[in-house]
Amino acid sequence: MAISRYEEMNDMKLDIFKEMGSIGGGNAATALSSMLNARVSMALPRAEILEFNDALARLGDPEIVIAGVLVELTGEIQGIMLFIIPEEFSDEVLFRMLGKTRTALLELDEIESSVLTEIGNIVISSYVTALSSLAGVEVELSVPQLAVNMLGGIMSLPMAMMGQQSDRIMMVTGEFNIDDKALNSGMLLLPDVESLNILMKKLGVD
Amino acid sequence: MTKKISVGIADMKIARQEGELITYALGSCIGVAFYDPMIKLGALLHIMLPEKNMSESNVYKFADSGIKETLRKLYAFGAMKGRLVIKIAGGAKMFEMKGPGGLGNIGERNAQNVKRVLAAEGLRVAKEDTGANYARTMSLDVSTGQVYIRSAGKKERML
Repeated sequence: MAISRYEEMNDMKLDIFKEMGSIGGGNAATALSSMLNARVSMALPRAEILEFNDALARLGDPEIVIAGVLVELTGEIQGIMLFIIPEEFSDEVLFRMLGKTRTALLELDEIESSVLTEIGNIVISSYVTALSSLAGVEVELSVPQLAVNMLGGIMSLPMAMMGQQSDRIMMVTGEFNIDDKALNSGMLLLPDVESLNILMKKLGVD
Repeated sequence: MTKKISVGIADMKIARQEGELITYALGSCIGVAFYDPMIKLGALLHIMLPEKNMSESNVYKFADSGIKETLRKLYAFGAMKGRLVIKIAGGAKMFEMKGPGGLGNIGERNAQNVKRVLAAEGLRVAKEDTGANYARTMSLDVSTGQVYIRSAGKKERML
């Protein structure tokens, strides 16, 4: 049965999205692994429906500075994918790609910024490719955008998008580990309500 | 130590005489600080979207319904329209979005609508720090009416 609000998603339906997150994230981890030439794994993803403030609290201190790579999804699935890169993850990536030791996120130069954008792009596109072939949906991706700022500010855009339909947001989150180090990176899939219906229908669970 | 009262997203808090109302990391959202210096009554509102588009929803999520509800409460607590000092912050453009969602300029639309709704209520904005591409934490000290803004990598400043 089609839903009209995030609140109508039950645990079984959320499990489907957790599974999708696991497949998408697995594919993204493989891509990241070959790019960084390191062992990359993904912690078990979560699919949750949370009120705005709870969602933000789940992600961390709203004032902490992070880099976010954002891609807008259009086509049969509408929504946002956001890859959250905290400083420790950025350090690890820049060290492996450029041999840099430490760069504060607010002081990234052009090359470092484009490396992070590209990492985000690869992670997001491999995630979405896995998802769209699994569900048989056509999804177009926008050009990736990088922003470095307070977590709360970065999240305001996806929240405003979800906020037009609901007082809650649905997040499918996943975290990457590089060589078994947990680096708090976050992969967020934020689909709109209509896309949930499309995905569930395509997967035969509605 | 003044008591900190945290205002969430799509939320509003009122304090009188003392305390610091604070809302963290406003991106495209707008923080609206209301203060009546005569009775030391302050409110901080954190809105997310310009206009109410659904009936069953948190009123503080939107500029129009949020401002109206905040004013209703402030007037009930004894605030006078002629004394209210209003300062706003936020409305940043965190990402350069070009997609069809029209969200790229949500911050700007929020700022415009906040000002439009305030003007319709016969109020004007005394100070503002809006736009650009960075998030702002905004606080209102209810004992003095002073509003402070801090951003990543910048010194805290008084608005």
